[in-house]
Amino acid sequence: MFVILVYDTAVERNPKVLKTCRKYLHWTQRSVFQGELSAAQYRALMAALGTVIDPGYDSIVTYTARSPDMVESTTLGVALGGPGDIL
Amino acid sequence: MPAVGRTYWLTEPCRIRREDNSVRVERPDGSPVRIPITDIRDLVVFDHVDINTSALSLLSRNGVTVHILDHYGNHAGHFSPAESMSSAATVRRQVEISADDEQRLAISRSLVLATAENIRWALDTDLLDPALEALRNALPACRTNDAIMGQEGNFRRTAWAVLDSRLPPWLRMNGRTRRPPTNAGNAFISYLNALVYARLLTALRSTPLHPAIGFLHADTDRRRNTLALDLAEPFKPLFAERLLRRAASQKHLKESDFETDVGRASLSKNGRKKIAALVREELSTTVHHRGLKRQVSYEELMHLEALKVVRLCLEGTPYKPFRPWW
Repeated sequence: MFVILVYDTAVERNPKVLKTCRKYLHWTQRSVFQGELSAAQYRALMAALGTVIDPGYDSIVTYTARSPDMVESTTLGVALGGPGDIL
Repeated sequence: MPAVGRTYWLTEPCRIRREDNSVRVERPDGSPVRIPITDIRDLVVFDHVDINTSALSLLSRNGVTVHILDHYGNHAGHFSPAESMSSAATVRRQVEISADDEQRLAISRSLVLATAENIRWALDTDLLDPALEALRNALPACRTNDAIMGQEGNFRRTAWAVLDSRLPPWLRMNGRTRRPPTNAGNAFISYLNALVYARLLTALRSTPLHPAIGFLHADTDRRRNTLALDLAEPFKPLFAERLLRRAASQKHLKESDFETDVGRASLSKNGRKKIAALVREELSTTVHHRGLKRQVSYEELMHLEALKVVRLCLEGTPYKPFRPWW
């Protein structure tokens, strides 16, 4: 599935969340990640994030779609996300 | 094969480092690129790459294979993760089949014939029909692998000549040469063949088969993963010959994409990128598989090919090499 993940966490927990997300998703923007995951990987990511955040204060929102083709997106200004898979 | 995950093509010099249990690729220009480790199926390295042990152990733990191509596009080697799919029953049967002359020769013959027919399909011409007929008649009489390879060589020579007649003069091969390839056409074919071989090696890693125990190349190429070489044969026309023809007719490749010297040729940096993009697109092309009743990508076809050999070993299902049905 295609996942877009947005997080809004307290400053002291930001690096922890960032590092966890980097293992599974591509960084697109400050506090925004996206990428393709299997259902199992998605659950693993959510479980990992669950142990990192403070459920009373932090907030993480994910949007999932069946494939990247199902999502249309436009970028205005600088495209912060990295290049594709030919480096 | 992981359900998701992409192949990453490294066409520029870079450095691979481990960071936060994930991968960071540093390039001489620009900021580092961070790749999620779960998104990597394998890495194909075209250029100088720096890597250290902690990055390698991370790649190994996540089942990522790193393929390294040398300057001339030959397969220079690969790093593969520690065995995790091993199954003694399969490997034992594989060895038995490969040691039994009758069975091994039967598989070799069918591989050579399938490859020849695939070339005929890729070139889409009836100029090859007489050569194909000759091959078909000569094969049953071959009692050794060398004889079979000899027949294949005869057919290949005709096929290269026919392919040449479809190419612009600067891309013509004038006979296949390798290590190093002497001209642009040969350099292109070398690159594509090495890539197909690498793809099959990745496919084989997701099965319990031993990649070094092959059927066709067993006696001639002692130090390579012969099973990957064998299974790559029927796929080469699908990629190498067909893409060369297409790139030539669409004028996608230019003379400046190659670095030609006296007696040797290789791809330029830009050419490598072009080919990586070309192959990546080709690998993700899908066709409808009649047995599975769903769309299957070319990449997955190679995986299915490896599974056919597993079924040959475990269930005794006769192995029929890949032929394009579309």
